[in-house]
Amino acid sequence: MRLVLERFTHNALALLAVTTILFFMFRLMPGTPLAAFISENLNADQQQAMLEQFGLDKPMWQQYFIYLGNLVQGEMGLSFFQRRPVTTILLEVLPNSLILTLTSLIIAYIFGVLAGAWLAWKRGSWIERAAVPAVLATRAAPEFWIGMVLLAVLSFNAGWFPSGGASSPGLAYTSNWQRIASWDYVHHLALPVLTLALYLQGLPLLLMRSNMLEVMHEEFVTMARMKGFSEWRIVIGHAARNALLPVVTAFALGVGLSMGGNVVIETVFSWPGIGRLLVQAVSVHDYPLAQGAFLMIALVLALMNFVADLLYMVLDPRVSHGRKG
Amino acid sequence: MAERAEPVSTAPAGWQLLPVLRRMVAMPLRDPFAFTGLLIYILFVLVALFADQLAPLDPMEILFTKAGKLAANLGPGADFPLGTTNLGRDIYAQLVHGTRSALAVGLSAAVIVATVGTVVGLVAGYFGGTTDAVLMRIADMALSLPFLPFVIVLTGFLGASTSNIVMAVALLLWPNSARVIRSQVLTLRERAYVEAARVTGASSWRILFVHIAPNILPLSFVYAAIAIGWAIITEASVNFLGFGDSTSVSWGMMLQDAFSSQALSRGQYAWFVPPGVCIILVVVAGFFISRGYEEVFMPRLRGR
Amino acid sequence: MILDVDNLKIQYRTRAGAVHAVDGASFVVPEGRIVGLVGESGCGKTTAVRAIMGVLAENGYRAGGRLVFKGQEIDEAATRKLRWRDIAYVPQSAMSSLDPVYTVGAQIVEVLTKRGGSTRAAAARRAAELFELVGLSERRLADYPHQFSGGMRQRAAIAMALALEPSLLLADEPVTALDVIVQRQILDTLRALQQRLGLSIVLVTHDISVVAYLCDEVVVMYAGQVVESGPVREVLARPRHPYTMGLRNAFPDLMSDAMALVPIHGSPPDLAAPPPGCRFAPRCPFAEAACRTEFALPSGKDHFSACRRDAEADQLRTAALDPVTWQRSLSYAAS
Repeated sequence: MRLVLERFTHNALALLAVTTILFFMFRLMPGTPLAAFISENLNADQQQAMLEQFGLDKPMWQQYFIYLGNLVQGEMGLSFFQRRPVTTILLEVLPNSLILTLTSLIIAYIFGVLAGAWLAWKRGSWIERAAVPAVLATRAAPEFWIGMVLLAVLSFNAGWFPSGGASSPGLAYTSNWQRIASWDYVHHLALPVLTLALYLQGLPLLLMRSNMLEVMHEEFVTMARMKGFSEWRIVIGHAARNALLPVVTAFALGVGLSMGGNVVIETVFSWPGIGRLLVQAVSVHDYPLAQGAFLMIALVLALMNFVADLLYMVLDPRVSHGRKG
Repeated sequence: MAERAEPVSTAPAGWQLLPVLRRMVAMPLRDPFAFTGLLIYILFVLVALFADQLAPLDPMEILFTKAGKLAANLGPGADFPLGTTNLGRDIYAQLVHGTRSALAVGLSAAVIVATVGTVVGLVAGYFGGTTDAVLMRIADMALSLPFLPFVIVLTGFLGASTSNIVMAVALLLWPNSARVIRSQVLTLRERAYVEAARVTGASSWRILFVHIAPNILPLSFVYAAIAIGWAIITEASVNFLGFGDSTSVSWGMMLQDAFSSQALSRGQYAWFVPPGVCIILVVVAGFFISRGYEEVFMPRLRGR
Repeated sequence: MILDVDNLKIQYRTRAGAVHAVDGASFVVPEGRIVGLVGESGCGKTTAVRAIMGVLAENGYRAGGRLVFKGQEIDEAATRKLRWRDIAYVPQSAMSSLDPVYTVGAQIVEVLTKRGGSTRAAAARRAAELFELVGLSERRLADYPHQFSGGMRQRAAIAMALALEPSLLLADEPVTALDVIVQRQILDTLRALQQRLGLSIVLVTHDISVVAYLCDEVVVMYAGQVVESGPVREVLARPRHPYTMGLRNAFPDLMSDAMALVPIHGSPPDLAAPPPGCRFAPRCPFAEAACRTEFALPSGKDHFSACRRDAEADQLRTAALDPVTWQRSLSYAAS
């Protein structure tokens, strides 16, 4: 329990550090310090509201605490160009990013774990020796380039998939859930997910393979063989079960990391997610929106780091059950 | 225990460093993958050095056909091995000259990451205490920043120069190498020869740089090789998103150009496939070399 | 006789060629007796025992010889059926031999249900019985391996080994990693179990005092071969092979007269390219020229010794008690 608290504090502090860095970064941008939250795009009332809400006429250190207070309440200011609360805009697109990330990761990890274990099984064969560099090549290719190639081949050329966006124009839905569950959405989701999964599978694959190779040499695997168990029981029940631990943690970390990296995928496929929002906001200097998008990504990162810590603690009996001696 | 203070053999700097350097140089000869990686690097370096000779056309020059029309979107042919962009620029020339920017970004980022990471790792690991705590907190902060978004925000607001990109990449990549090197230093610190050096009164800095650093060197190279790849991909991504310098040629800029001028729908594979392939080659080469140095640092007893 | 090891040859494929880890070792395990298999590291004792279980490293293989268990010759395929049901193994370090992510109880139940055909309920009851047999509390079944102390882990490993009521137990350095007091306890437990269950045990160790304490018979191995074997009291009181004489000197607590520790100089030969003739000759203070070329097969009735100069064993033994004799072997080692 003490360990849980420690990890929580650690990640919370990291998040605090990020927000602080962000606070100062945006204040030091070209333009007046007010420019972080106020621009001519907003009408006079809105400008006044922002001035009061973020205490923009007060000294810097006071602004900092007001800023933190607002963040905790979910107040991130108004978007310069959409003239709507940033928080609302973010929450609208967050599900799209989450669905993209989670779907891709799940597919990538299931494939990666199975393929990695299989490759470890086939150690020394030519398949294994050819596969490792091939997988490294998938990790070496820029995600967006994989997306571009797939787009060109499967969408523009073959016409199997739409070329972008999350929905076809002209379709109406009664609720968000219905929209997400519709075939049209899935059809649009397919290529981005395929691209991401292709890029992401390398890590679990190589990790699982390397873990399996190590575990197979452990004494307890030899013992399992001495007990006369079937090969299946030895490899799956004992070896894989041990080899899987780091992979599960990597999955949790992957969610956090992916949210940041999805920026490019969302741009290639015009997928309406947080990443694309960030890029658009930065290009038009919509500071509040850019800050908000960045913070949201950082929040997911910190959260998933914490989840990864928790998973590790829970899944490894050596940590969850202390020494009794 | 000896009664007199016998000088234990604290070997002079050269002797510790030489065997390590020898192994590091010999490594590609034993590891076929690392050797391939090295060849790839050498190839690209040569291309970068002789870019003007290999591709005499100016990559940014807008070209016209003999008939006076804009030489736009031409397919691969005798005049233009990879065809032209929609603004009539020679793709092949862009690819060849793009090598320079890629290598410049990769190598400078690698040098910074390796240097900063190694120094921080050494200092934090050896001196421990508050120095260690402070340095590791800073490392944690850098790690909690989402990588690409941070680079985007930095270049988006500070400007799109290559040096900004390199700086942003280096800023976020050094913690990984620093942490690993630090934990290695922690183990090495307890080794017998370090104890011996301490007993005979060698100064901390001497111990650090003469006895510990040489053993860490392969690890620095591991992370340097990885950093090259990351920097090139990040630079390409930033350029692709439109935050790069569109007047200087780079592979990322080529991909951005191709994407925004609908090369995908026109099926102009010769435009956007080669830059990606080049990136893959350079990054994979980096992976191979880094794996080779990993082996030097920590040889696996079982044959791979 | 429950196990007959006849001219066993085990080799490992390496880049340097074939390593002859066990090169023609023969010994028998009488039913209901404890046989000590003793020798220094690398002499092949662990390899021999693993070969009996049929579980060698990837690059290991049986290159010759026979294994006869309960009158049936067993080959590598046949050993799988016998594993754990007839022949069980107690490892050196139970910490790394138990899967860290399952409780110890779960692992015993696994053996009982998957190899013993038992139901889960019956298996749980039997697991509790086994723990009681080795002196562990039933509550400990729900603990993970890392929660056990060293001695308790060894007991658990023994309990695990006895799960399917094997007739032969192969114990590979079961007490080496423990401190002396716990060692004695575990050895006493082993003897009690052996008497109660009528087990036959092969105890592999490099510590001759363990052999003296627990075993009925002893088999001395050197460089992949058996150099001497026989009843424990006989072999230790009247060793006939120079190596055994030297081994005895290395454990002065066995000698009635206080003696200084006398090491045997030199080291065992490279098993990738074993020398012709007697393998101990380079380190033997009694070696003659012929020893280097001629190979001596074990001779004797119940007490076997593989030494050319077996007839002079008594004189050699007396000389071996003098430390000066072993200094002389230095010059031989050098040549």
